[in-house]
Amino acid sequence: MTRHSDPTQVQLTADGRLKHFLTTEGLSKTLLTEILDLADSFISTQERAVKKVPLLRGKTVVNLFFENSTRTRSTFELAAKRLSADILNLDIARSATSKGETLMDTLWNLEAMYSDMFVVRHADSGAAHFIAEQVTPGVAIINAGDGRHAHPTQAMLDMLTIRRHKGTIEGQVVAIVGDILHSRVARSQIHALLTLGAKEIRVIGPATLIPKEMEDLGANIYFDFEQGLAEVDVVIMLRLQKERMSDALLPSEGEYFKLYGLTEAKLALAKPDAIVMHPGPINRGVEIDSAVADGAQSVILNQVSYGIAVRMAVMAMAMSGQVAEQQSLAAKKNESDSPQSANSGAPA
Amino acid sequence: MSTLTISHAQVLDPSQDLNQLSDVVIESGLIKAITPTGEPPSEQPQLNANKSLLIPGLIDLSAHINNASTEVLAAARGGITHLCTQPNSKPLIDTPANVSLLQQASEKANLSRLLPIGALTQNLEGDQLANMYSLKQAGCVALSNARAPIKNALVLRRIMEYATTHDMLIMLTAEDFDLSANGKMHEGPTANRLGLTGIAEIAETTSLAQQLLLVELTGCRVHFSQLSCGRSVDMIRQAQAQGLPITADVAIANLMFTDLDVNGFDSTFYVQPPLRSELDRQALLAGVNDGTLAICSNHSAQDIAAKKAPFAAAEPGMSILDTWLSMMLTLVHKGELELSSAINASSLLPAKILGMKEGLQLNQPANLVVVNQDTEVCYSAESMASAGKNSPVLGDILMGEVKLTLSSGREIFRA
Repeated sequence: MTRHSDPTQVQLTADGRLKHFLTTEGLSKTLLTEILDLADSFISTQERAVKKVPLLRGKTVVNLFFENSTRTRSTFELAAKRLSADILNLDIARSATSKGETLMDTLWNLEAMYSDMFVVRHADSGAAHFIAEQVTPGVAIINAGDGRHAHPTQAMLDMLTIRRHKGTIEGQVVAIVGDILHSRVARSQIHALLTLGAKEIRVIGPATLIPKEMEDLGANIYFDFEQGLAEVDVVIMLRLQKERMSDALLPSEGEYFKLYGLTEAKLALAKPDAIVMHPGPINRGVEIDSAVADGAQSVILNQVSYGIAVRMAVMAMAMSGQVAEQQSLAAKKNESDSPQSANSGAPA
Repeated sequence: MSTLTISHAQVLDPSQDLNQLSDVVIESGLIKAITPTGEPPSEQPQLNANKSLLIPGLIDLSAHINNASTEVLAAARGGITHLCTQPNSKPLIDTPANVSLLQQASEKANLSRLLPIGALTQNLEGDQLANMYSLKQAGCVALSNARAPIKNALVLRRIMEYATTHDMLIMLTAEDFDLSANGKMHEGPTANRLGLTGIAEIAETTSLAQQLLLVELTGCRVHFSQLSCGRSVDMIRQAQAQGLPITADVAIANLMFTDLDVNGFDSTFYVQPPLRSELDRQALLAGVNDGTLAICSNHSAQDIAAKKAPFAAAEPGMSILDTWLSMMLTLVHKGELELSSAINASSLLPAKILGMKEGLQLNQPANLVVVNQDTEVCYSAESMASAGKNSPVLGDILMGEVKLTLSSGREIFRA
């Protein structure tokens, strides 16, 4: 008895343009490709002496990080500045909500300050959807990570990395290795990879970290790292959090590295031109050997620089879609407020 | 002596194989006669039911009530004449004094009757036994720990032994809290896709298996509340066939919705126990249709702020009382639930479980509902009497409009 509209469509305008960026799920190949193309064009502007473009001039972007992340927040801040926006960093974790103000009150106050875009990171899955749908629908929401659900800008910068290094995403065999269970990055990557035509997505790790339902998302499950690496074009290593040991999901970092740590010997099982990626920050000697992280096949540092371009692209697109939608809503409202004005000719 | 006749009612009471167009005579609050329509009309004040259904009043085995005055009104409008209130109400039903507070609230409102369920353990902490016997003496119809954990199997064994000593009914939920691991919805493809922590089926079934073994040992009379898994229905059937003194119910939400309804992070569909798969829903419906399971509302009114939060941060629960009967009749209309099974599960079986007189018996209090089964109804936040507008069916077209609810012959609701 499902009666809800497709949640993935919340982020689109009536004519299919991006107005929020909440998840890679449900977005068309055309739209995802548009993000990558625009990001590509921003990479060339970043190589110039003057790096700024005026797409968000006069707009106010608020970084709302309910979870701390200096790295991600900095790249969003830089991206907003390069788009000429005014940016406000709000450390919500320490300010408003601790004074007893609710999440909604905080957001409404910020909206009243004429904010145009919120970049949201929150520990609860669905937080960005909730804000976009129920709290401040007139503000463009960019999801910078919600619980285990989605981290779409990270996934898109990974897509850009693959495209720039492998030429295309179509036909690639991609392995995602490690803690899939807790990974919002992996979920967002799987949706984007499938839409963009990857040949096969493998998720590799122990059963404690790989939900069997990953198959429903379209990924193949491998418990054996060696088998899973055969014929792979792209290896994405995920960060292993220390808590996984105390949660009884793994015995030790040492045993994990023995089974799922990426070494030069294991990488040799993948295709010779396979690239190695990692969303960072890396745990050397836990999920990846230093020789591989710093080796010729690693593109980990390039990922970081692409991150700014991808965030510029989604911010520019969502803002433009949101502005268009607000204008069309305002036009409709004017029509309904004065129904006769179109026909009445001269005022009475 | 006041007298009322409801004429031209399609009287349905599966406990007496009664299903015909009849006139029902009520005198001094008691049912005095049920006679086939067509005989000469009497001189008494009459109410023509126009072939609407007349069924026994609903008895809700599980509701969470914080504000008795609005919620009994919602219950009366929903055709509910009796509702069992879980002990985690405000104030906690853990002392005889609080039991009588609730009884006074029920008498003052004088609408649907509240039947208090007392706490099994002190403060519902799952640790030390509450004054179980005193709570029974004070008028508790059963004892439960709401959905709060009982510390361990030893405490549970002692609860059962003590309850058996004093012939008490206890109501238990089946949940292993280590296995449910603070989960928020059914463990399955939807939870994985949304990145929400799942509650595995085994969190319910392993706990149920353990509790059934303890029933076997102690002989305690146990009612299992709010089962959510298809597998659990099989286990209940098997245990009943084995002769164990157990009964069970399912919340109406688990008969109507599945984990797919959580799609879109809609916190209205955040409930405990969680909405499970379509296979589970079908198995639960089969359990109601074959008489294994009763149906409860598991009503929990929440204010808007409690639900307006990201899914996992919202409060669980749905506001059901206003719409309970219409929800059931909608399932009947869709052919998923048999009408006689729905009446059995929401009135006859609960009466038996609570040791009350079941059905529409002569010379017994007239607790009954007149409902037009074929009328479409649509509820809005404004049309609900409950203080909680967290209903999963707002704006939906449902079947069945309640016309009249009588409690001991007294009109507690008329449309």
